[in-house]
Amino acid sequence: MTMRAFLWVAVALTVGSAVAAQDVALTASRADVSIELNGQQITISRTQDTDAVLSGEFAKTSRPCPAFCIQPVIPAAGVTPAGELEVIEFLQKNMANNTGLLIDARLPDWFNKGAIPGAVNVPFATLSAENPYQADILRALGAAPTDDGFDFSNALNLMIYGNGPWDAQGTRAVQALIAAGYPPALIQNYRGGLEDWLHLGLTTVLPKA
Amino acid sequence: MIRSVVALFVFAVVLCGYIVLRPSDNGRATPAIGNDATVTRAQTDITLAPVTATAVLTNSAVIQAPQRNTAPGINVPVDNSTMDATAANVLAGLGLNVEQNPNAVNDDPMLRMTTGVLSGIGAITGNTVTTASPDPTPTTALEMLVVQALKEGQNDAYIDTLVNEAATAGTITVPQILVTSDGRVDTHVLLASIITQATIAAGGAAPTAPDRPEGVEIRIVQRATETQQYRFYTVQSGDSLGAIAVNFYGEVGKYKLIFAANRSTLSSPNNIRVGQRLTIPDA
Repeated sequence: MTMRAFLWVAVALTVGSAVAAQDVALTASRADVSIELNGQQITISRTQDTDAVLSGEFAKTSRPCPAFCIQPVIPAAGVTPAGELEVIEFLQKNMANNTGLLIDARLPDWFNKGAIPGAVNVPFATLSAENPYQADILRALGAAPTDDGFDFSNALNLMIYGNGPWDAQGTRAVQALIAAGYPPALIQNYRGGLEDWLHLGLTTVLPKA
Repeated sequence: MIRSVVALFVFAVVLCGYIVLRPSDNGRATPAIGNDATVTRAQTDITLAPVTATAVLTNSAVIQAPQRNTAPGINVPVDNSTMDATAANVLAGLGLNVEQNPNAVNDDPMLRMTTGVLSGIGAITGNTVTTASPDPTPTTALEMLVVQALKEGQNDAYIDTLVNEAATAGTITVPQILVTSDGRVDTHVLLASIITQATIAAGGAAPTAPDRPEGVEIRIVQRATETQQYRFYTVQSGDSLGAIAVNFYGEVGKYKLIFAANRSTLSSPNNIRVGQRLTIPDA
């Protein structure tokens, strides 16, 4: 009797620890992903607490629209929609070999509260034609100034995100880039943004001050 | 005979009737006067009460136009340039780069954000791009005129005459706030702004508001709930809105505060008139 109960407890413990050891993985075949960016190791994994829920700003369901309206997955013709796995793949391929840039299109105060690892903050407003220094940013993205605009043949691939499906910052960044002549084929749009990223318990980082 | 007596009698009756009726008219008129008095007082109250911004704006739509058209004096041609830009361009023309002033960068949120973006991208791509911010250069005829005069080492009085002659001849346009109440160009404020910017660029202190501005009239308005202090200034001959701003706030750019508070009587910053009473809001 006591022996039997002890056995059950032992079995339960074994199973329990097995569950704990079996991580909340990214996919069936990958627990996490490590990328080296500019000599820095970035690891993207998921929160292991299976009871974790979101709270606070990114748990809201019904922000007022207008202002926070549902955003298109494809903000402009020719732009490729992306999800979390595509973002991770973009980090592994394009960013690691310097052919792409993961762009956080939110204003700096959002970015500084937490962002996707490896992302660079390019607030949507700086991409707008109203920014007198817009051309400088286009040059940094690999566009070459010509007599009548820019040559984008060596421009970087871009993955762009904002706060989430209700946030227009990513959408506006994509549209501003295309208005400036950036080829849509080079742009991927992660509409899910930080909200979907957090909803899957994925790693975020606080940018260095 | 009888006819004329009857006619006279009828006339007398009509006259009496008229006389009798008049006092009753007066009687009716008395409460009417009372009403008038009430209305007048109500209006007086409205005038004395602090006028809200919206009320001022609504009024200005009605009152402005005729005043603007009847503004006397020489018409100094104005443009929409700001004093800061004008002063910066003049300094650039003298070979002094105001752009190196770190405060100037901080004042431009777009430049600040762009600089952050560029260093962020550069850290990842190694592709360093610096902001090729538009360098200030003298562009307007006024700026070029002043740069030339300053290079020649001319004194303030000479520059004042030079600028005013050019303005009268219509060969230059000036920022609106440089137009004085008697239709001249306030070169004193222009030159003072240039010196201020150069001082700040060289790491000097920004100017502070004078302790006791001259010619100010302070009125205390007491209301049921609060006591508020209002400052007024009566425009003197030779005043420009820019000069009044310097006098009260220590910096020319704050003219916007005065302009906004006086929209009901001031149609545009270059339209101030001698004797005009301006409300001076707190900074």
